[in-house]
Amino acid sequence: MRLGIGARITAVFGLGALLLSILLGGLSYFTVRHFLLAGRESAAQHQAFNNAVLVRTQLQLGTTGYVTLLTNIDAGSDAHSVLYHGAKYYVSSLSENASSIPLQLRRDALAGTAATQTYRTGQGTAEFAVGVPIPSVRAVYFEVFDLSDLDHTLRVLGLTLLVAGVVTTVLGVALGRFASVRLLRPLADVSRAAGAIAGGELDTRLAEDDADPDLEGLTLSFNAMVDQLQERIEREARFNSDVSHELRSPLTTLAASLEVLEADRDELPPRSQRALQLLSDDLHRFQRMVGDLLEMSRADAGSVDVFLEEVDVSELVQRSVEAGFGHMDGHRSGSAAARNGSAGNGAGGPPGVRIDPAVRSWRVGVDKRRFERVMVNLMENADHYGGGVTEILVEPGADGHVEVAVDDAGPGIDPMERLKIFERFYRGSAAGRRGTGTGTGLGLALVAEHMHVMQGDVRVESSPAGGARFVLTLPVLSEAEDPADEPSRAGGLE
Amino acid sequence: MSGRILVVEDDERIRSSMRLALEGEGYEVRDAASGEEGLDLFVEAAPDVALIDLMLPGMDGFECCRALRRSSAVPIIIVTARSDTHDVVAGLEAGADDYVTKPFVAKELAARIRALLRRARPAEEEPGALTFGDLQLLPEQGALRRLNGDDVHCTRTEFRLLCELAASPNKVLSREQLLDRVWGYDYFGDGRLVDVHIRRLRTKVEADPAVPQHILTVRGMGYKLVP
Repeated sequence: MRLGIGARITAVFGLGALLLSILLGGLSYFTVRHFLLAGRESAAQHQAFNNAVLVRTQLQLGTTGYVTLLTNIDAGSDAHSVLYHGAKYYVSSLSENASSIPLQLRRDALAGTAATQTYRTGQGTAEFAVGVPIPSVRAVYFEVFDLSDLDHTLRVLGLTLLVAGVVTTVLGVALGRFASVRLLRPLADVSRAAGAIAGGELDTRLAEDDADPDLEGLTLSFNAMVDQLQERIEREARFNSDVSHELRSPLTTLAASLEVLEADRDELPPRSQRALQLLSDDLHRFQRMVGDLLEMSRADAGSVDVFLEEVDVSELVQRSVEAGFGHMDGHRSGSAAARNGSAGNGAGGPPGVRIDPAVRSWRVGVDKRRFERVMVNLMENADHYGGGVTEILVEPGADGHVEVAVDDAGPGIDPMERLKIFERFYRGSAAGRRGTGTGTGLGLALVAEHMHVMQGDVRVESSPAGGARFVLTLPVLSEAEDPADEPSRAGGLE
Repeated sequence: MSGRILVVEDDERIRSSMRLALEGEGYEVRDAASGEEGLDLFVEAAPDVALIDLMLPGMDGFECCRALRRSSAVPIIIVTARSDTHDVVAGLEAGADDYVTKPFVAKELAARIRALLRRARPAEEEPGALTFGDLQLLPEQGALRRLNGDDVHCTRTEFRLLCELAASPNKVLSREQLLDRVWGYDYFGDGRLVDVHIRRLRTKVEADPAVPQHILTVRGMGYKLVP
């Protein structure tokens, strides 16, 4: 796994602090140790030679016994003396014996060379021994110094340095963490800004005035990039909007002229009547496409300016289904199907609406015409891909919402496709069944767009019969009784 | 039904096609290519309804509406490219009575014109004179007067809206009911028409339009007139 830059900075700081404390600690320890030991050794050596001179004098005089001789020697509390004379060792302390002196040292001294050695006894005590041959009396004087106190001092020093090292390392890690957070903060700002921009807040910029001088370049180029991006997006939205607007003028002319012709339809020869019918049907489709595209470009430009009215949800759905049914492709009054008396896709009238008694008189805030378009698009979608609407249900939903479910008689929608079908121009597995090619590929995308504008949502699931069920959710404003029943509830102010 | 219609529209083709379609519906149509021309023609032709495109070169549709309103109570329909912007509300506030969105269906436009031209209601159902505050509503004379005899100038649509409210004082009328009775809209009519007209009416009727005493809003339900 790759470590993040923050973790790596922290690790580098920690490791640096660790190495530094090892270096400094080690250096201090060994310097102090060397200094203390050297001082002690030279003092001990000095003392041992002095004492050896004393021993020589005593032995030359030959007046005293070995014990008295050794007792008389002032070796200090942390040392004892060992005398080798006449192939025998004499020790000043009862608790010690000569074998504690290293063999090599004894050998060297007995061979006539003065020698010193620092070592550790079997019990783990640090000792320093000096061997001084005294050839004139054929003896060797040894003095053994106990270095426990020095050892203890060094141990304490070592421990102190270790603790200091650990603390330094921890501080190093903490410093590294702090530095990485500090260092990464501007990047976090950039990331936040980028997220906001991706979320559609194109006005987001990094603050340029309080930017770190070292990061000014980043800030400026980031903002420049967003400027460019925003300009592009706006240009594109403007282009879409302009195109749709420009299309509206000729469409208006076409529609008005066509109506003049339609008024005189009966005077036209049959061939011209058929041509007029084709013209009329496709003009209607064309108008809807332009309307849909314009609606989308408006949504993209973020310039949807919606007027929500408080209405009774049952009435809204009922009326939208009835009115929407008349606006559907193939059901439109004036279209061939309607005129010939055969109402398009086999449905004789608007689909049934079943209203849960619990939601009766619930009120929602909607743009009624947008809601009607939503119902038209869902009913058309059901007609084109789902074998027509079987039922429309109005039920209570979760969290103060009301749900409007539109069921169709089709094969249902694959769970993998359930989010994608609300994307623009999405052509799913149903694309092959498009039939006469009605629709703009924007129908369901617009359903989602309209619902979001009205603070609602749309999702698709399976109907109990196995078809698709499109569920619209809208927040409920109030569950009050029908206003007509309580005309006394009056307020004077807006 | 016949009547004279003034069309102010800068696009020559739209103008021609509208003229053809509206003439087909039995109206007499005069057209103008700019706001300035429209105002001149208005004086000369004295139309029953004015149809004004909001996007005009030079004097725009809003300004044209305001100029017409200064001298006339004639019903004005604005033609807008978009129904969801503040254009609609701004146009209504400039004095328009109704709006249509491009591309519109001529039949629909004809229906709008008919609704604005028709009489408020059959004469026998007209409310009697009603006095509220220092105002007197005289439906049979089509007049709204202060008690001191001064006329209060209302547009035809404002007057009809006031008459509807006055026909049942103290009773709440929903936006849908008012849209149906005054504008002839069905359930899907635009509630903003009512809201803006109520606002306009208040500036003429109320002493302090911000704290209305007579034309009251009943939240979530509609409006009522309290004498």
